[in-house]
Amino acid sequence: MENTVVKIQDLVKRYGDLIALDHFSLEIKEGEIFGLLGPNGSGKTTTINCLLSLLSYDKGSIEIFGREMTPVSYDIKKEIGIIMQNVAVFDELTVYENIDYFCGLYIKDKEKRKKCIDEAVKFVGLEDFVKFYPKKLSGGLLRRLNIACGIAHKPKLIILDEPTVAVDPQSRNRILEGIQELSRNGATIIYTSHYMEEVEQICTRIAIMDKGKKVAEGTKDELKRMIKNTETITIEILELPDNVLRDISGLDHVYDTNYSDGKLSVYCSGGKHNLLRILDVLQKKELGFGRVYTELPTLNDVFLEITGTALRDKEE
Amino acid sequence: MQVFKAMFKITKKRLPSALAYIIVFIVISVIASSNASKDSKFEMTKLKICIFDEDDTSESRELSELIAQNHDIVEIENDRDVIIDSLYYKRADYALVINEGYAEKLRAGDTADIFASYCLDESFSTVYMGQFLDEYTNSVKAYLSMGMPIDEALSCTEEALSQETDVSMLRNDKGGDAHYSVDFAAYFQYMPYILISAVFIIVCQVLVTMNRRDIRFRTNCSCISSSKYTFQLFLGSGFFVLAVWLLFMAVGVMLNKEMYTGRAWYAVFNSLIFSAVVAAIAVFVSSFEPADNILNLITQVLGLGLSFLCGVFIPREILSDKVLSVARFLPAYWYINANEMIADVIPFSSEGVIQCYLIQLGFAAALILLTLLVRKVRYSGAAISTNVRKTAVSH
Ligand SMILES: Nc1ncnc2c1ncn2[C@@H]1O[C@H](COP(=O)(O)OP(=O)(O)O)[C@@H](O)[C@H]1O
Ligand SMILES: [Mg+2]
Repeated sequence: MENTVVKIQDLVKRYGDLIALDHFSLEIKEGEIFGLLGPNGSGKTTTINCLLSLLSYDKGSIEIFGREMTPVSYDIKKEIGIIMQNVAVFDELTVYENIDYFCGLYIKDKEKRKKCIDEAVKFVGLEDFVKFYPKKLSGGLLRRLNIACGIAHKPKLIILDEPTVAVDPQSRNRILEGIQELSRNGATIIYTSHYMEEVEQICTRIAIMDKGKKVAEGTKDELKRMIKNTETITIEILELPDNVLRDISGLDHVYDTNYSDGKLSVYCSGGKHNLLRILDVLQKKELGFGRVYTELPTLNDVFLEITGTALRDKEE
Repeated sequence: MQVFKAMFKITKKRLPSALAYIIVFIVISVIASSNASKDSKFEMTKLKICIFDEDDTSESRELSELIAQNHDIVEIENDRDVIIDSLYYKRADYALVINEGYAEKLRAGDTADIFASYCLDESFSTVYMGQFLDEYTNSVKAYLSMGMPIDEALSCTEEALSQETDVSMLRNDKGGDAHYSVDFAAYFQYMPYILISAVFIIVCQVLVTMNRRDIRFRTNCSCISSSKYTFQLFLGSGFFVLAVWLLFMAVGVMLNKEMYTGRAWYAVFNSLIFSAVVAAIAVFVSSFEPADNILNLITQVLGLGLSFLCGVFIPREILSDKVLSVARFLPAYWYINANEMIADVIPFSSEGVIQCYLIQLGFAAALILLTLLVRKVRYSGAAISTNVRKTAVSH
């Protein structure tokens, strides 16, 4: 088994009366792209801040690289790159100077630092903007600068807290690809987001958080296997007699149906050819139908089934 | 020196607006100090006085001579209209008539109607001369009542009055020492206010930028230690304050049109130490990450508050004992204390001045220690109480 990079055990964090983290545990192995997925306010940022000793916590223990993490664990901090949820750069410094400043906190040697900065600039594709001030950059470019500042010193553990919030699709893809490239280059990555598509797309393992608790953990396939839904079939159909609906509900592997607004949704659990069997029923009753589509479960369904609320509902 | 360098760059970026402030402050201080010196020079300026000695005795001549020692005597025809004219056209400030029988009345201790004077209205010169004549005659009367003969009483009075004027002159021109002129005294007097304002407006802004929560989080995640970081912040602020101070000193030289000499160096050194105190205050205040408007408020409160409490704007004699006993716990009090010693307002001793230096340095040291403590507690994480701020972290 690979080495454990981060080990969080039984972490409890309170903000006054609010329990932001409730006996939260996590173990992250070397080389993983670990996704921390959860709606806003579920405690992702709090987890990261505790992990980095930026916040004190009430209970629990945190180990990074097998050593206890404290505010003065400079030898651990040296190996960590952090990209915060809020863009943390100096408005008064140019793109280059910003990267230079943060990289310089780790790398004293000028030559080496210059090389690192140039690589970071290239990595995030800001070559044409090195002399720009952050105020002149678009949201996406600003996020990329934020990332460059966090990774220039080539850390072994990279933590990204919602790096794609308010980013245009082009920058978003670039960022996601970049993260995968960092991983290929050997870094362990912790990635938090409330966008399940992103997490599905890049993460090798995922923990789903809600209200300060870890509600599920595993690879995305493992997570999806945890729920009974394997397929949701939607059929546009203008008129559906009750007896037909009952027939469909009675089919094998169908565990729920719903008909409203001229749309029939059939929730299936396992089994093959579910769609064909449903269409068969409709055809036998000579009912015409419009568009048909099937959806595989998303992490949202996982979340929905575990917590009873959709990830999306919580977004604002 | 990464932090120091970044501070430098940020300051540089802000320099144009900073410079505007500094220049405004220098102009204010130049105006303030030149006003101050004008005021005190006014008292030293000799009045133009014409005397009509209608008594013409040795006593009256003695008085005329005494007046002539301190003022310019102008000759004007003894004619009411001419006198009024010359007063009007400022050929004379004051016209004194020593009435006939002056000597006799004085000897008898009767001071009614021994003088007459012409004046246009209650001007400074009438009040001044009126007071002088009162004092003079009262003093003579006092010596006479002690049983002195008249000529001795006159010379004793002269001596007493001249001593007194010496003292009052001293008080007014603040220049007991030839090397420390009125302009300087005033210039250095206002310096605390100007230094505090200038430094706060620039250094604190830079420090607050450095201290912004997100940036500080990122910095705290790095492997630079909290005390090293704070040390560089001090260094950066110190460097900048030093630059501002040097600028002020240069302006001081230009104002005075010559280099500092002798005792003026004490004042120069005093202001350097005070600058260090101000830098320490700035770093301390900015550890609390005040918002811009709060920072402005703090600047005003500290700048004006310290200045008023400690006697930058108003002479300390006017301040109540209560205020002064509070002010003792403020560094500006000791700055002003040293300054007043240097200007001979209170007796000068180099030990006394050095004591003031040391007390100010004590303030600076205490502030630095406090800052290190505050930063350790607030920023190095594990000890923070986090229920303070909700906005920044929650997305
Ligand atoms: N400094 C704070 N003080 C009080 N409550 C906070 C603070 N920071 C976050 N919270 C609360 O803790 C919970 C978790 O927040 P956070 O970790 O930021 O969630 P996420 O990053 O998943 O959106 C939220 O309910 C939030 O309101
Ligand atoms: Mg967050």
